[in-house]
Amino acid sequence: MGNRANHSNNKDAVTMIGLDFGSTTSSAIVARAMVARSSASGRMTFGAPEIRYRSEPVFTPFTNGQIDEVALQKYLDQWLLEGDVIPAQLFSGGAIITGLATEAQNAARIASLVKKRVGEAIIATASDPCLESWLAFMGSCSALSRCNPDRPIINLDIGGGTTNPALGKGGNVLATGCYFIGARHFQFVPGSYTLTSTSAYGQMLMAHLGIQINVGEALSTAERDAILDFYIAMLQSIISGKATSGKDNTTASHTQVPLSVDINDPGPVVTFSGGVGELVYRYATDSPLPGTTFFGDLGIDLAVRIAQTPLLAKSITDYIPENMGRATVYGLAIHSTEISGSTLFLPREEILPLQDLPIVGKINMEEDTENIQKLLSLVARGGSGAIQIVSGEEKAKKAAILQGPFTEKHIRVKNLGQTLCKQIQTMAFPSDTPLVLLAPGNFGKSLGNYATNWRKIDQKIVVIDEICDRNAHFVNIGRIHNNIVPVSFYGVQ
Amino acid sequence: MKTIIALEDIYVPAPSPEEVYATTLLDREFHFKGLKKLLGAADISKAGDRTTGLAAEDEMAREAARSILSGLSLQHIFDNPLTDENGRIDDVMRAGYEIDSATFNTISTMSMGELKDYLLAASGSEITKIGKALTPVMASALTKIMDVHELVFLPRKIAKPTKARTLIGLPGSLSFRLQPNHPNDDLDAISLLVYTDLSMGMGDCLIGVNPSEGSVDNVSRILNHLDKLRRETGAPSQICVLGHVKTQLKALERGAPVEILFQSFAGTESTLTEEFDVTVEYMDRAYATMAERGPLGPTADQFMYFETGQGSEMTYRKHNGMDMTTCEALCYGLCRRYDPFMVNNATGFIGPETHLNDFELMVSTLQDHFMGKILGLPMGISPSYTLHSESHLEGQQMAVQLATAAGANFFMDVYLGCDRMLAHFVNSGHDDQTMRETYNRTPAPEFLQWAISRGIFEQSPDGKVRRGENWGNPRQFIPSDGEFQRLLECLPAAPGFDNAGPRPINNVQRILRANQAVGREAVHSGLRMSELEAFNFRVFSTSAATKTDHLRNPELGSRLSPETASLLLPENNDVQLIVADGLSAEAVHHNIEDLLPVLQDGLSSRDYSMGQPAIVPFGRVKLVEEIGDRLKSKLTILLIGERPGGDALSSRSLSAYLAFRLTDSTAQEQAANYSGNPSINYEYTLITNIYAGGLPAVEAGSVIAEKAMEILEHEAAGNRLEDLLAHQ
Repeated sequence: MGNRANHSNNKDAVTMIGLDFGSTTSSAIVARAMVARSSASGRMTFGAPEIRYRSEPVFTPFTNGQIDEVALQKYLDQWLLEGDVIPAQLFSGGAIITGLATEAQNAARIASLVKKRVGEAIIATASDPCLESWLAFMGSCSALSRCNPDRPIINLDIGGGTTNPALGKGGNVLATGCYFIGARHFQFVPGSYTLTSTSAYGQMLMAHLGIQINVGEALSTAERDAILDFYIAMLQSIISGKATSGKDNTTASHTQVPLSVDINDPGPVVTFSGGVGELVYRYATDSPLPGTTFFGDLGIDLAVRIAQTPLLAKSITDYIPENMGRATVYGLAIHSTEISGSTLFLPREEILPLQDLPIVGKINMEEDTENIQKLLSLVARGGSGAIQIVSGEEKAKKAAILQGPFTEKHIRVKNLGQTLCKQIQTMAFPSDTPLVLLAPGNFGKSLGNYATNWRKIDQKIVVIDEICDRNAHFVNIGRIHNNIVPVSFYGVQ
Repeated sequence: MKTIIALEDIYVPAPSPEEVYATTLLDREFHFKGLKKLLGAADISKAGDRTTGLAAEDEMAREAARSILSGLSLQHIFDNPLTDENGRIDDVMRAGYEIDSATFNTISTMSMGELKDYLLAASGSEITKIGKALTPVMASALTKIMDVHELVFLPRKIAKPTKARTLIGLPGSLSFRLQPNHPNDDLDAISLLVYTDLSMGMGDCLIGVNPSEGSVDNVSRILNHLDKLRRETGAPSQICVLGHVKTQLKALERGAPVEILFQSFAGTESTLTEEFDVTVEYMDRAYATMAERGPLGPTADQFMYFETGQGSEMTYRKHNGMDMTTCEALCYGLCRRYDPFMVNNATGFIGPETHLNDFELMVSTLQDHFMGKILGLPMGISPSYTLHSESHLEGQQMAVQLATAAGANFFMDVYLGCDRMLAHFVNSGHDDQTMRETYNRTPAPEFLQWAISRGIFEQSPDGKVRRGENWGNPRQFIPSDGEFQRLLECLPAAPGFDNAGPRPINNVQRILRANQAVGREAVHSGLRMSELEAFNFRVFSTSAATKTDHLRNPELGSRLSPETASLLLPENNDVQLIVADGLSAEAVHHNIEDLLPVLQDGLSSRDYSMGQPAIVPFGRVKLVEEIGDRLKSKLTILLIGERPGGDALSSRSLSAYLAFRLTDSTAQEQAANYSGNPSINYEYTLITNIYAGGLPAVEAGSVIAEKAMEILEHEAAGNRLEDLLAHQ
């Protein structure tokens, strides 16, 4: 039943885009949403987004391992046209480049092309595996996880080159990882198991398993099963919280970032996304699967084996994630950008946008002068930078019938602001250096006013509030739109 | 379609000089000058009638009035139409004289007492027939001499079925209007509210939203959304968005599905035209338009929906010297003119200035229901209360029990009984199902079949209807858990969907009641001055001497006391800060400590001159201009507690009124041109929802300070200031 509100004609709605360039396929999603204060979290968020456009996945255009820029531009133009997107009117967007697309000069070329064609609102990132895991979880399980707030969920986003797991609870991602388990480490002539190529990880695995076949030869059933057994065993280890890095060289080398899982019974719900994930649910619901190696890889076989493995398949009929094959690109469109509070501190609109700001460190509300001075020096030396403020919310209160949210006290905001102000003046912080303070609560305007002595000192200080700590290395701040700004992180740790 | 008789063709006798009605009770003599005073004194004592001096001074006076009223003939009441302040018979009074003259001629010599006795012994069809021969004032008089048992016993014999897409009001049925209101008209939240209450078998009467913003665009947007929900769920019902009738007709012109046309009515022409912005003539045309172009077409026998409620005329001081019950009866006379699909009475909605407590609420509910039914209307009832009255959930529930026993056609259904948009408390779907099960009532027949097909209800071979396995499960209408979660997040503080029988589970009830308790405390507690000593406030007083005065009579808190007024001399400062409790002293105590220092720091940074801040116990918003005028401050900032509703946190919510005094002739001229009001003295900027769950106090201090700087710099406030800033 289509019960979503229609934001198409609402002037207060914003448009967002997500672009996913992977080893196998690329796709786009365009969404439109109202920006409003969430009654659940109290923060500014996108209200129920309306997906305006989903492109059909296309094969990422490579020629001899190099991205075909002409073909890619054609796809971009087609998506913008079909999605009815005017680049200058985009509020935010994310593009992620993964797998083969990040190799050689591909990532830089794709990023450059996207920036040129789609505009400054879009943030392109490459080789950010934990961000990818985070996006996939948010794109597929965010609502499911909030709907079952007490159940941990592990989402395995399985694509061509990697499996990106993320553990989340109550709608928040708690841990992420990345493994070189994917459909396209072994590629075949579609309809057969005649090998056409293997990736470096595929070759390593064949050596480990004692499989000795060459391109042009067919993989036997036993050999195929051995490969799939290895993958399935690793996936089971991942969701069980068993170490994968210390087992043997092959297992360890298939582990890029281990997922740290610390969960007691009942075990986590396991969901799947990505191309292989989508096939898992098709198999589980008795929907017809494409023919043997239809996609020229092991994706279909891996999906069937996952669905037949009790530990992995335990939740597939009860907990169905959304978007599945498009989880990452959906996550990019909807979740890659956070929204500031509506009372941020911004002395002049033209200071924004600010891109690729390094997050130089964190301070708490009662931070000592020495550390504040150290972080301000880092920003001054780097020419720009952001400092993340950790509010240090009060510890859980006693059992209560109703509980209100934590709010900052005047005296703490004033003290921190005045300390910042004093240090900025003492060290003669350069007035043309952008300094962004990221605050978790709704006190940005007051903090900014105290930090600038009510705008009497002329600094490019911006305080963006209601932004949670994302544990990232870099942040981008977009232009102001109806009193809010888009904030996106990358280099997620 | 009912034929509308032109007002001038309705016969009304010419008014006569006021008669003095007199009697004695033992050794006490009683005199009542005019029928209006007699009718007022004969009623139970209600807050609104006490304020206007119409309530009887004591029980003996009331019974004296009732005795006199009982002896008056119907012809006497017919021959003495009540007039307005200018001695004129207004259009509302005239509309009520459209009666069945032939029947009236057979009963005109009866006294009111004899009529009551006759009706109590009569059949339903006889009562219905006589009702058509009664004017509204006769119905009011009859009501005044009936007790509670009679107010329940008599109307339950009257059936008044009406038919739009569904047929409501059949004997043995009980229907409900969904009221899925949302403070921001969030369509997703409205969807979930509709799904939730449809899943409880409610909505057979109407799915109707009170919009928070009344533009044609918004009304059309919500109508189209409700239409989509109705079609997708397949629920047999009709939809309505309760905007102004003129807005709805414009929406209809643009093709919006205005299936049922709504308007609020009042019992005097001056209230109807000056406050509700409609005339009888306009409503005649609106009715004709709907008859011709309403989307339900010939499916519907009726298509109008009116809301009424005792006290609106009194609140606007346009009651023409009549008591609240009589005004309400006159309202019904006007409703009768348009053969409505439904009439809903919302007594208690206004607050303690009309109905102070549970007793007044309960009796008025029964009176209104009876008067509507005897005058031939399809009456629904929504007894409701606000937290600043002395009415409570228990009293509201007793009123609902009595009105169900009395045979009301329908009730409201607000999610868990708390209307956050209108900040009052009314029936919930759980209450409604409890009434259906307690009194063995069924939904409208078409709706029942739909609900059975969805497993919401089951019907046994003997015709008994029970809750089915899908009763109370909104998830049945929503395709996925994720979608359900997203919709849920659009609903403020939904405490859960689990049920115990027809009731919400105890945990949900405890959360609801705890929220109300916080709100009630916020209204009724006073300012604790010792906790505010650090701010060095000077204390101003208002004409409200006590908390009770303050809550019952809004005008008292809107004026300074003579003592304070005499002490205030011009100080000519840039800014004056004022703090007042308004309707939530707790809002002051929970915000001022973090707000005021930031605000003062911000204003001091610009070296504005500031008067010593003042605090005003028992204060209302209108004070701000009197204080500004006396102190001659350029900008007066009033921080005042908002009216609490059903959310504990927002019951501690403060608003900031930034009132800019237009002393500069250029600024005044520009403001006059901008507003269209040549005598404008103040412009306002309003910052609301200052509380932990909205704009936190520490941030609000900066927001207000920056806005104050903009106002003083540009010498403008409100929309004019925002326009100036936008064009910078």
